[in-house]
Amino acid sequence: MPIYLYIDRGTFVHRLHPTVKVFSLFVMFWSVYWVDNPIALLIPIGLIMLWIAQLTDSWPNFYRLRWLFVILIFTTTLMWMVFYQRGTPLFKMTLLHWDGHTVAIDVTWLSIKFGIGRGIKLAELLAASVLFLSTTKIEEFTYGLQRMRVPYRVSFAISLSFRLVPLFIDSAVTIVDAQRLRGYDFNQGGPLERVRRYVPVVIPVFMGALRKANNMAMALEARGFGFSHEPTTFIEYPVTAADIMAFAFLIALGTLYFMLYWTGLGGIGPMK
Amino acid sequence: MKTDAQIVSVNPGQHAVSVQGVTFTYHGADRPALRAVSFAQNAGEMIGVMGASGAGKSTLAKCLNRIVPEFEDGDFHGAIRIAGEPLEHLRVCDVAPKVGMVFQDFESQLFSTNVEHEVAFAMEQVGIERAEMDRRILPALEAVGLRGFAHRDPMSLSGGEKQRLAIASVLALRPSVIVLDEPTTDLDPEGRAEVFELIKKLRAQGLSLIVIEHESEELRAADRIMVLREGEIAADGPPAEVFARTELLTACGVRPPGLGHAFELLGIDAQPKSVDQAYEAIARAYPGAAGTTYDSIARSRASEEPKAAANAIIGPAFIGIENLSFNYVGGPRVLDSIDLKVDAGEFLAIVGQNGSGKTTLAKHIVGLLQPATGRVTIDGKDRAQMRPAETAREVAYVFQNPDHQIFAATVEDEVAFGPRNFGLPDDEIRRRCDEALEAVGLQNERQSDPFLLSKGERQRLAVASVLVLRPRMLILDEPTTGLDHREQLRMMALVRDLNRAGIAIVIITHTPWLVAEYARRVVLMRKGAKIFDGGVREFFMQDELLRSSSFRAPEITELSRRFGTLALTTDEFVGWVKGRA
Repeated sequence: MPIYLYIDRGTFVHRLHPTVKVFSLFVMFWSVYWVDNPIALLIPIGLIMLWIAQLTDSWPNFYRLRWLFVILIFTTTLMWMVFYQRGTPLFKMTLLHWDGHTVAIDVTWLSIKFGIGRGIKLAELLAASVLFLSTTKIEEFTYGLQRMRVPYRVSFAISLSFRLVPLFIDSAVTIVDAQRLRGYDFNQGGPLERVRRYVPVVIPVFMGALRKANNMAMALEARGFGFSHEPTTFIEYPVTAADIMAFAFLIALGTLYFMLYWTGLGGIGPMK
Repeated sequence: MKTDAQIVSVNPGQHAVSVQGVTFTYHGADRPALRAVSFAQNAGEMIGVMGASGAGKSTLAKCLNRIVPEFEDGDFHGAIRIAGEPLEHLRVCDVAPKVGMVFQDFESQLFSTNVEHEVAFAMEQVGIERAEMDRRILPALEAVGLRGFAHRDPMSLSGGEKQRLAIASVLALRPSVIVLDEPTTDLDPEGRAEVFELIKKLRAQGLSLIVIEHESEELRAADRIMVLREGEIAADGPPAEVFARTELLTACGVRPPGLGHAFELLGIDAQPKSVDQAYEAIARAYPGAAGTTYDSIARSRASEEPKAAANAIIGPAFIGIENLSFNYVGGPRVLDSIDLKVDAGEFLAIVGQNGSGKTTLAKHIVGLLQPATGRVTIDGKDRAQMRPAETAREVAYVFQNPDHQIFAATVEDEVAFGPRNFGLPDDEIRRRCDEALEAVGLQNERQSDPFLLSKGERQRLAVASVLVLRPRMLILDEPTTGLDHREQLRMMALVRDLNRAGIAIVIITHTPWLVAEYARRVVLMRKGAKIFDGGVREFFMQDELLRSSSFRAPEITELSRRFGTLALTTDEFVGWVKGRA
């Protein structure tokens, strides 16, 4: 099973200049940040993401992360429905019934809207990252950040960290297996106890990560990393008409979403 | 044989590498990792460096490109020159164009998403212009046999290909010396063969090479062998001379080549360079042994050994696998219609190339994976009805990397973790911990920090931590990888003792001598299918099968076949030759 998200296809999105790709990630985050209204989160930016996923054949990556999306949307929506106590109550929802006491919350139209909006917002932030990693090589990421004036060492470290995450996940899965085979049950106790029960996984992952990072740092220096502040680049990225058009479109998209926020159209409606 | 004094006396400017009086003590260590090490390497020479874990091999390698003392903190004395140029005051990255370094962990030295970019990476760092990079990439890929791989993702390559790619990215910088620090430790036999073939080729091209390696057979082609012991050079000379000193090698934790050891036991004063040479020399010295070259005796010996193959077992086996097939979601078949039975008390070796399905098969036995079709039974019970924790009390699994399970503050707590999970009373836990630590020889390390133990000790701790559950079968995935010869022997002696005590053993391994000396039955896997299941002698008779699986019989077994017998160990072969004489 591949541990990286990059899917090698020749679509125009794949061929975009790395700076435009990094900028597009920024614009996606920016746009999603300013609005809370589920409709505004779905149209047009949600549809654009769906179109890019279809165009770039990124669905296998979404399928791999499907449970993360489901959990994110479900828990976020539910959590904000509980905590966002504004608007006219539609009905009461009982959360806990214990020893004659009842803990219940008012569910309002606003809390439902806000909860769903937050769920979509987080899912879209994740989707933007998945689309970016599905279509951008690590070298392009480094190059794009460099062109945006991020120092080489910093941009390389950021892009490398993306490469390391799947390695650590892989190692964590093996460690969970190893501890289960020693009779360890990760699913005992309440939420806090369950978190605490991951100590036998966290420590080996952390130690392994330290060792891996040390090996990588040595190998990097042995390959000449740090020789020059401005390394040469093997890959050349000419700026094309498609890049300019994509850049203009992204500026327009970012502006649209800021205007939605500015005019209040991106909000969830009047609060009472 | 050269001595240190003779080497130091040569003019350093004339050598590819000159190391003079290098002593290095790691920060916080109570003794130096290297002590007054001096040697010189001629241009185009290949030096093989051997020694036990902790002898200073990797430290020496790291000194040659300034990782020591630039990256690893400590007290450094001495002088190193590369092609006459002193290294002091240079940073690690400044040395990169002069000394290429290839590490054991191939995953940690690949940074790109494309083979071509990977080769270009180091050139980018040292500021080589794009046009020049273009000129160098193809020759570097051709040199390592990766032409046509330019646009592949490095992560999709096999272990051997990854390691060859790491060598290509070093070659592209055109260094005058290449240092390879245990480059094949994590590879399967095919990957090992690929890398050593490449090393031979590079040597023929006149590159100066320093190769750190545990297996002495692989270094027979070197110009010189340097053996390190506790940070000092214990021997330095041509392979024939160094490998003849079997006592010294053993004392230094190095496994002497089987052929050389056989010559010593037979009283033949020579060092064979190949099986052919060894055959001729022994046939001359012991004419009675060389009566026939036909394998009839070997075949009859193979047929005499106890048949342990699946079909031969009558009645319910301890482990029963019926028609087992498996594939990951959306992926190809990883296991294909496997039938296998393992009896209580057996010693089985599962061999095959990486990706052949060995580990996947083992994970089905312990319940970490569920079959797509077929079933697994443990002592007659359907494994699908057992939780992994229940299975753990019957069959224990020791992962290849002991660091995948160690987390406790003390050795004792680490071992007690399993029984605590099963809710055993404290006195019972204490009793079992004592028993398990005693079995693995760590009874005096009870209060030690597991992370400070050596790799061999951590591996034994991993065994103790599952042994404490008193399983009836132990599955060990590559139990000797990364261990020096002394640690390997100790580990395998432990495994053999456990087997003698009645515990069934299944080892997954790539090491031929380990199969020959310890296992009683072999299962060979290829592309998810079981293609051989039988006795060890019978296995080493299958020339075509071995060749097509890149699995070589130990040299001593190959030699014995030339004499028409089949010996699995040096002692067995020597006994047979002397008996015929």
